[in-house]
Amino acid sequence: MGFPHTPHPRETLVLSKHFGDTDARTYKGWVKRGGYEMLNQALAMEPAAIIEEVKASGLRGRGGAGFPTGLKWSFMPREKKKPHYLCVNADESEPGTFKDREIMRWTPHGLLEGTAIAAHAIQADVTYIYIRGEFTEAWDIMERALAEANAAGVFGKIKIYLHRGAGAYICGEETAMMNSIEGKRGNPRIKPPFPAAAGLFGMPTTINNVETLAAVPLILENGAAWYKGLCLSNPKSTGTKLLSVCGHVQKPGNYEVTMGFPLKDLLYDLCGGMRPGRTLKAVIPGGSSVPILNREEAESTLLDYEGCVEKGTMLGSGGVIVFDDSADLVYQIMRLARFYAHESCAQCTQCREGTAWTTKILERILAGQGKMADLDLLLDLADNMTGKTICVLSDSCAAPVVSGIKKFRNEFEAYITGNRKPVIAA
Amino acid sequence: MADGLITLTIDGVPVHVPSGTLVIEAAKQAGVLVPHYCYHPGLPVAGVCRMCLVEVEKQPKLAIACATPVAEGMVVRTQSAPAKRARTSVLEFLLINHPLDCPICDQAGECELQDFTFQEGRPGTRYSPDYPKRFNPVEDFGPDILYVPNRCILCTRCVRFMEDVAQEPVLNVSERGDRAFIGIHPQGRLDHPWAGNVVDLCPVGSLLSKDFLHKARAWELDRTASICTGCSQGCNVTLDTRDDVVVRVRPRQNLEVNRYFICDHGRANYRWMNRGDRVEAPLVKQAGSEGYRAVDWDEALDRVRIIVGGASGKAVAFASPRAATEALFLARHLLGGFDWTGAFQLVMGDEEPLAGVPNLALRAERAPNVHGAELLGYTRDMSAALQAAEQSAVVFVLDDPQVSVRTAGAVIYLGTVMPEADGATPDVILPITNVAEEEGTFVNRDGRVQRYFQAKPAPGMARPAWWVLGELLEGTGNGARGMPLACAADVFDLMAESMEAFGGLSYAKLGLVGRTLGQGAGVPA
Amino acid sequence: MSAGMSMHASGTEEYQAVFTGATLERLQEILTRYPNRQAALLPALWLVQEARGWISDRNMAEVAELLGLTPAYVKGVVTFYTMYHQHPVGKNFVQVCTTSPCNICGAEDVAMAFLEHTGAKELGATSPDGNWTVIEVECLGACGFATPVMINDDFIESVTPDKVPELVRKYR
Repeated sequence: MGFPHTPHPRETLVLSKHFGDTDARTYKGWVKRGGYEMLNQALAMEPAAIIEEVKASGLRGRGGAGFPTGLKWSFMPREKKKPHYLCVNADESEPGTFKDREIMRWTPHGLLEGTAIAAHAIQADVTYIYIRGEFTEAWDIMERALAEANAAGVFGKIKIYLHRGAGAYICGEETAMMNSIEGKRGNPRIKPPFPAAAGLFGMPTTINNVETLAAVPLILENGAAWYKGLCLSNPKSTGTKLLSVCGHVQKPGNYEVTMGFPLKDLLYDLCGGMRPGRTLKAVIPGGSSVPILNREEAESTLLDYEGCVEKGTMLGSGGVIVFDDSADLVYQIMRLARFYAHESCAQCTQCREGTAWTTKILERILAGQGKMADLDLLLDLADNMTGKTICVLSDSCAAPVVSGIKKFRNEFEAYITGNRKPVIAA
Repeated sequence: MADGLITLTIDGVPVHVPSGTLVIEAAKQAGVLVPHYCYHPGLPVAGVCRMCLVEVEKQPKLAIACATPVAEGMVVRTQSAPAKRARTSVLEFLLINHPLDCPICDQAGECELQDFTFQEGRPGTRYSPDYPKRFNPVEDFGPDILYVPNRCILCTRCVRFMEDVAQEPVLNVSERGDRAFIGIHPQGRLDHPWAGNVVDLCPVGSLLSKDFLHKARAWELDRTASICTGCSQGCNVTLDTRDDVVVRVRPRQNLEVNRYFICDHGRANYRWMNRGDRVEAPLVKQAGSEGYRAVDWDEALDRVRIIVGGASGKAVAFASPRAATEALFLARHLLGGFDWTGAFQLVMGDEEPLAGVPNLALRAERAPNVHGAELLGYTRDMSAALQAAEQSAVVFVLDDPQVSVRTAGAVIYLGTVMPEADGATPDVILPITNVAEEEGTFVNRDGRVQRYFQAKPAPGMARPAWWVLGELLEGTGNGARGMPLACAADVFDLMAESMEAFGGLSYAKLGLVGRTLGQGAGVPA
Repeated sequence: MSAGMSMHASGTEEYQAVFTGATLERLQEILTRYPNRQAALLPALWLVQEARGWISDRNMAEVAELLGLTPAYVKGVVTFYTMYHQHPVGKNFVQVCTTSPCNICGAEDVAMAFLEHTGAKELGATSPDGNWTVIEVECLGACGFATPVMINDDFIESVTPDKVPELVRKYR
């Protein structure tokens, strides 16, 4: 059973196999479906062997960066001299992305199982699952599942705790998350030191995304070769990806497809295409932080890490935001800039000031008071905001602005020349 | 390199620095000041202002010099086009919400935002004048500190100082994004005994000293290296004078003593240097009267020479532990032929350490030269000295108006102000200079001998105590040096020859950061 | 920490501590999860908000004392996280996501509908009866279910303007 829609035959149901099935949420129901078998096996395995298996599967981080998971785990000290920590990134807050929430809502035990396996692999004593503050339902489900699993004693010596966020997008950045768990402002940290050397509480730490960890038990169960075989295009991108599709499609929701799946088919086949009488204008394929694709680009994109890079964008978190021809991209890009201005942690100058300035310029354009020179100014500010700060929030604000002006310049110009009526008050 | 140093090139200049050195510090060795705001060598690295972006060869992105350790063979370019462009843009961003109120800002003239903007900023902003600037009202943070949020660039030096150095986090960064400001809890005050350092650390005019508010423009100030007289720690300071009035005391870097900091007690301890009610001429007691007559130095000195030359037996010197080592030495030397007692009164207070810096505190002993006085034979045993004074032929009082002496002998008083205590009236009153008006040395509690310099002219006919005592020596037969003591250096070097504790030191070699006793022949600190 | 920071230093009325009885016990259990007391700050603040509906300066001072922090430090943290209320809010706190993905699906109309039906005059203001505060919020992470709305701790998906009157009735 799928959720919220019936699964499409072209989906590859690996992580989402039990979505919509309330029985799978319970410990008993999960065990009935073969759950926690892999954890039992893994706890008897050498950590290095688990890391090798995950490396061989080609699994890459599903939070956005796509860093090879096994390699990340292997950065942790082999010989444990201090406490090790695992942080699970369930702070899903990238606009356009809502897959981790679904994993927690439907298969909390799958996530807990993957988490415990990862903790064993990196020899972590304690794991914190950092759940964004707004996910109250997911929190309750996870809390219940954790209590059940603890009562059943499935985790051995591994301790798993939930930690609730409190409304800060940037806490999804791994070093900001560590600060947040430590009871600090969620400010990203300068690297080095990298988390594997000095992370949470100054100890070796690994941070993994929910979707990444949820895949781990399945990799152990079916073998690295099976996972590696889930690939429609580039062999560097393996497995399945949960794609959160939102915006102007007939059937928004989460879709699980094999890596390399054509974006065009996702939109028109799985999601039922555009609303009647509407045509596709643009797609942001990887959450709001990645460059916008125009229709031609979107319709020829293959959804894996390399396929997106080939089109000048990124797979990111797999949050697919779809805009049809009714969308006002200038307004929406302003909304994204406003989002980043709202969420900037205030540390780096370019980000603190640049995100707010960018928003003001876009607002002025939308108020019919823009100048042509504003477009060049926006591009120049975006350049000054890219690659110069501690984290990539500043870059993320710049990406839709740059790609938006490059690909939809006429929409900006229409506001500036007066061909389009102002939509906000001056 | 064999000596364990790392070699790198900064703007074409090769430098050799220890492993672990940050590029921003290595650059100083190449004579390059990389513009920066959040970085401060006395604070943990934050890496947030992004002003010190430089190009490092073979690295795809610009790097912040404050958080990048040196590496062998590294090639750093601070003046490449991308690096300059990045810094110019940071300046533009920093200025969009800045009020540009330099004409009424205390920091103007010593403002790093002004300086670096002048150096590499854009000629004009591209921020539309239609946009409102961020505005927050001025806040009263503490007894001497105002926060002007509109000028703040969020470098967080103040927050890090209170958190990591003072270890009393009463400041925070509040809110997020461009709404952020430096905050304080309504129940908290920025009243830590070392809080004033945040004013110095603030690179802009955002944290201001109420004491200095609108007192002077930075370019009107003359700056003189000095030593704080607030306690026996011996913090290195700068005296800022405007029209020969001391208007501000600020810390002067000395990594061995006070690093970059001074306490608020020391910072506020300068008004007396500007006292108006000074003794401005030598005064001699009129025969058969309580009154004094102003005389010239020759007459006054002759009078003292006659008194001292004609006396024998016991002599006492009450000296201030605020007096220069040179004066303390000469007073003792002058009385060398007597059965000599030397003592000083010492004001004591609470010790107030700066938690994050080892061996740095406002010391309980509230005078700068306690150690120097003790090395030269002066003791804290005032009662013994007062008793001795009763049978003494000569009593010298050096720069302590509070000493109440009973004696059958003569009293020679060297002071900046008239005696303020009861007791025997001095036969001769000799006007001397204060710490801001002379040069000399103090010995701090750790035996570090440090020089201070003259910041303003002496009032009237006042002279340094060491000069006065040196003149007296010439005429009493105790000089025996064959040449006049023309300057503090002469006195110091005489002391170094004759006092074992000061052996091996020379005035010239003390430099600006001083030397520790017993290490006179060692390498400079 | 200076003596001036004691909990009764400001204000005249007696302060009622949040952390007593069961709430204190919950905090003590939470403290066992972390290697230091500071790390319990976010959970402790949640407990305060649960108990009081918002987090006052004096609450921050209480938390600071319990966790060995300063009130200023705690305030810096509280102001970072938008879900902590620094001021009292209405009995029902409505958060409407209006970030791009929901925005293109009509989220701003949903927010306006809440204003209209609750009597709250503008976004962020509390209705005269004290029952409603409506705000626009950035991305609630349910973009495929536009428009997601949080009313207090309840997460409601696929809200459209026509569903707002019924929701308002339910919570009134």
